[in-house]
Formats: sequence, structure tokens, C-alpha cells
Amino acid sequence: MKIVAELLQFVITGVTVGMVYALIALGFVLIWKSSGVANLALGQLVLISSWFTYGMLVQAGLPIWVGFLLVLVFAVALGWIIERFILRPLIAQPILSLITVTLGLAYFIQGLVVFIWPWSVDALPRLFPKEPFHIGPAVLSQEYVWAAGISLLLFGLLSLFFRYHKMGIAMRATADDQMAVQACGIPVTRIFSQSWMLACVLAAIGGILMSSIGGITFGLVETGLKAFSVVILGGLDSFLGAIVAGPIIGLAENLGGGYLTPLTWPGVREVIPFIVIIIVMFLKPYGLFGEERIERI
Amino acid sequence: MDLPAGTRNYSYAQDMAIFRTKTHWALLIALLVILFTAPFYLGNYWLGVINLIGITIIAATGLNILTGYCGQLSIGHAGFIAVGAYTSAVLTNRLELPFLVGFICAGLVAGLVGMVFGIPSLRVKGFYLAISTIAAQFIIIWIINHWSSVTGGFVGITVPYASIGGLVFKSEGSQFFLIMTITALTIFFAKNLARTRVGRAFVAIRDNDLAAEVMGINLFRYKLLAFFIGCFLAGIAGSLLAHWIGFMNAEHFSLIQSILYVGMIIIGGLGTTIGPIFGAVFLRGLDQLLTMELTPFLERSFTALPAGFATGIAPMVFGLVVVLFLVLEPRGLAHRWQLFKASYRLWPFSY
Repeated sequence: MKIVAELLQFVITGVTVGMVYALIALGFVLIWKSSGVANLALGQLVLISSWFTYGMLVQAGLPIWVGFLLVLVFAVALGWIIERFILRPLIAQPILSLITVTLGLAYFIQGLVVFIWPWSVDALPRLFPKEPFHIGPAVLSQEYVWAAGISLLLFGLLSLFFRYHKMGIAMRATADDQMAVQACGIPVTRIFSQSWMLACVLAAIGGILMSSIGGITFGLVETGLKAFSVVILGGLDSFLGAIVAGPIIGLAENLGGGYLTPLTWPGVREVIPFIVIIIVMFLKPYGLFGEERIERI
Repeated sequence: MDLPAGTRNYSYAQDMAIFRTKTHWALLIALLVILFTAPFYLGNYWLGVINLIGITIIAATGLNILTGYCGQLSIGHAGFIAVGAYTSAVLTNRLELPFLVGFICAGLVAGLVGMVFGIPSLRVKGFYLAISTIAAQFIIIWIINHWSSVTGGFVGITVPYASIGGLVFKSEGSQFFLIMTITALTIFFAKNLARTRVGRAFVAIRDNDLAAEVMGINLFRYKLLAFFIGCFLAGIAGSLLAHWIGFMNAEHFSLIQSILYVGMIIIGGLGTTIGPIFGAVFLRGLDQLLTMELTPFLERSFTALPAGFATGIAPMVFGLVVVLFLVLEPRGLAHRWQLFKASYRLWPFSY
């Protein structure tokens, strides 16, 4: 019975956390599809928006709904600034520059966070009720359930957005064929800008959910890095891939962390997403749902 | 505008020579004399700075061969440096082998590890490769931190001084000679590698790997060779770093360091021999300036500075510098240097 309870615990925790990874990963896929930029500053975006939430809720003492509204405004503004002043001058540059510039950005944001919040570890005020859930023999704190619920809700909203909203359709069209979209009179740069804003908002929500589970630490940067293993496993240009691969990574992390730690070394949980990346690279580099690009000279 | 006006070639050997004119030779000899007499007129502090810069140049040159010439982006360079550093540390400390054995093995082991993580480069490139090298970095650091019976784990491992024969490189000055000699040899090697069959194959792969393959360049061999050479240089830089610091733990090799190396070759100028030198001098110099001079000065002058100022300012400035270079001067300092040389030679007639 104890074994079953343990297994169930790992599975539920893994799937719920994995959904948050998938949410953050969606932001990456969005930018990659629309503008071809690989955003390696994902973890740092998660980090800074969590700290900003902390600043609003704890340091400024605002009520929760005002605080969250301001966080959303902050995320949108951040996305706009990054796209307008850093990525737009680099349009049509080689992928190497595009990757490196987000690395520089990551470095900058990390410095900024240390600069403003030097104590580097803290907790958000309790957002969700304290009583844990009981699912069969497993015990789960409410944060996980809420995180999974909010992620699912957002997946639903996003798929509706991409299906029916004008902006969402324009984004999908840009992802499909930039030249054709430009010829149709859709402002491509505005689409880039919007996808950055949306990605930053997703990173902010993911950050709030993750930091309500585990507190605000530099571990959030690694949450962003885990989102990379989600996109690699799911396929870089696939929304569905990200949603499917998120829970898989979460499961692998929790099951592996639970059962492999006695066999190997402590902390194996942290590297499992990276080992998954290497395995995927060797076996199926374009991921589960990714489109394999056929190149021509 | 590679040569001063009036320089003519009468033989192929002349055409191929790196140092052509008497001025070139005079400048080279002057540089070497000034460099290798530095321990006699510089204090230990500045020698330490220059030693670190030298080690950084070796590692950055390796990354430049891999990324700048062959086009394979690696964001795990600090991980490969760590492999070299720990190989050398373990061999000389635990097995008490001589320094030279540890030094060579450091390069070889790092090169082989780099090759293993480079295998995905045969099928993927760009972002995929960047991610798999990040993964390599994390896996390497995790193994180092937890395989404590060999590497000392989180506690770290002490490393004996480098010694060749009976000669022990103990003081900052003597280590300067060791590090600078190897740095100079590395730069010479990199300069010549770029002009050989291998170097030209790398450039062809960077510019278009499919076209290169069609022309008969064996992608499998040359991509792995690029990983091997790049990581070999990272490994020997790591070995020098280990023996220079005398104590190793994994904190020296964070992801931030890897990003810094990529920043260096971007700022210096990708695919040039002089680029990594400029980049290493620029970023390490900036680091010294910020942490040793500017921050204490500002902290003395303004008492109301936020508490995170000292630790946060350096990453912020580095990140900003990398972003600004990419936006404003994507070809790096090496390009500026070319422009300067050209206008110097043509002065006062600018065209």
C-alpha cells in the first residue's frame, strides 16, 4: 500500500508540475515559431517576474488582485521592451547572434535581480488555501492542484485564442510563412512584439505558480531551463508537443528523483531533464511532434 | 588592406608568411620582449590578472575554433574547462603523476568528452546544439559535485603546483612564464590552423554545411574534429587554471561562465585569431575594473547604495555589453581593429 501511495504521489506531483513547465515552454515555442528567435533568457524572465510579484505583494503590500494586474502589465512591458530594443535591430541576423543576444539578456536580468533583491531567497504570501488534498492514498498540497488547474485553463484559452482571435490567427500565419504574411499587409514586427509580450506573460504566470510551490530562489532559472527540455522533447515548433512533453518531463523528474536517488547520487532529480535532452538529441532530434526541416542549398 | 603599400611577393613562401615586413618582425619581437619581461616590472596583483587573461585566451581560442570557425555554438564551454581542470587535479593530486602528464591528459579527456557531446551536431544545429551543450554543462557539473570519492565533491580538491622536471612553478611570476608560453603557442597554433585544409573545411561547414558536404568535406570527421580541438584547448586551459588557483571546486565553472566565454568571442570578433584575445582582455579587464576599482570607489563615495550593488553590477554590465555589441557592432573589436589599421596605413589619404 505504501508503495502505491508513493508512486501515486510521484505521478501526481510530476504531472502537475509538468503542466507549469509546459506553460512556460509555450512562451518559448510562440517566439520561436513567429520570429525564429531562440529565447534562452526564459528562466531569467520567470525569475524576474516572480521577484516583481514579490515586490508588489510583499514589499509594496498591495492587495493580491492589484498586484497580479501590475505583474501582467510589467510582463507585457518587459516583452515589448525586449523585442523593440534588442531583437528588432537584429532581424535577419544569423541564428548565432540571435541566441547570444538572449544570453546577454539573461545575464543582464540575473544581475538586475541580484541588484534589487540581494537576499535571493524568499517566499510569496500564501495564495491558495492551506489544507492539503487527499487523492486516494496520496497527499497533495493545494498549490499543485491550482497550478495544474490554472495551466489547463490557460491551455484552453490559448487554443481558443489561436483558433478564433484575429491576432492569434495572424500569429499562426506568421509562423507559417513570414513573406506571405507581409505581402498580405499584416505588420510582421507587430506580431513579433505581441508574441514576446504573450511569452513574457506566460513566463510570469508560470513563475508565480512555481514560486508559490517552491518559494522564490535561483532554482526558478532552472525551471526555465527545464522548459527547454520540454520544447526539445515535444518538438520546437509544436504547441501540442509542449503540452504533451511538459507532464512527461515532470513525471520523469519526479519518478527518477524518487527511485533513482538511492541508486545514484542525491540531486539526480535536477539533471534528469538534461539527460532527457541528450537522449532526445541522439535518438529523435526534432522531438515527438517537431517538423523535420529538409534543407536545400 | 592586409599589407602596407609597396609590399610585393616574389615567392609563395613570402606570400604565406604571417610576418612579412621588417616592421612586423620588430613589433613582434618588441611585444614578446615586453610581455616576457613583465614579471620584472609588474607586481603580483597585475601578474595575477594577466595570468587569468592568458588562461582565458586559451579557452576562448578553443571556443572560437569551434564556434567562430566551424559555426557549432557551444554554451557549455565552462563545463569542458571543468573536465580539464578536474582531470589534471585528480591525476596530479590523487595519483601523483607529473604535471605534464596531467596537462596532456586534461586536454585529451576534455576533447573526448566534447566529442561525445558533439555527436548530436551531425544531425542538428543552431538552437538544438546550444541546448545540448547547456545540458552537457549541467551533467558535467553534477557529476563533479557528486562523484566525491574522486573529485572531492562540493568540498573541492587541492591541486599541487605545476612542475616540469625539477622546476616548480610556485610564484605568480614563474607561473606567468608557463601560462604565457602556452598562450603564445596556442595563438600561433590557432592562426595556422585557420590557414590549413582543416581550417578552411571548418569555414566551409560554418557557411553552409550541406554545400560543404557536397564538395567532399566529411562532415562527421570535421565537426567532431572541431569539437575535439575546441574542447582540447578548453581542457588545457582548465588544467592551467587548476594549477594556478591551487584549489578546485565546481563553482568556478557555472553556466554564467559559459555565457561569458560566448560573450568574449562575440565582443572580440567571431572567426578571427585576434578576436578571442581582444574579447578576453576586454571582459576580464572590465571585470577587474568593476569589482576591484569602480565598486569600492562608488561604495566609498555613496553610502546609500543598495546592498546588491557589488554583486549585481558586474553581470548587469556584462550582459549589457554583450547585447550592445551584438546590436551595434556585430563583427566585434577585431573589425574595428581592421578599420583602424587600414586607415592608419592610408593616412592622410583615406581612400
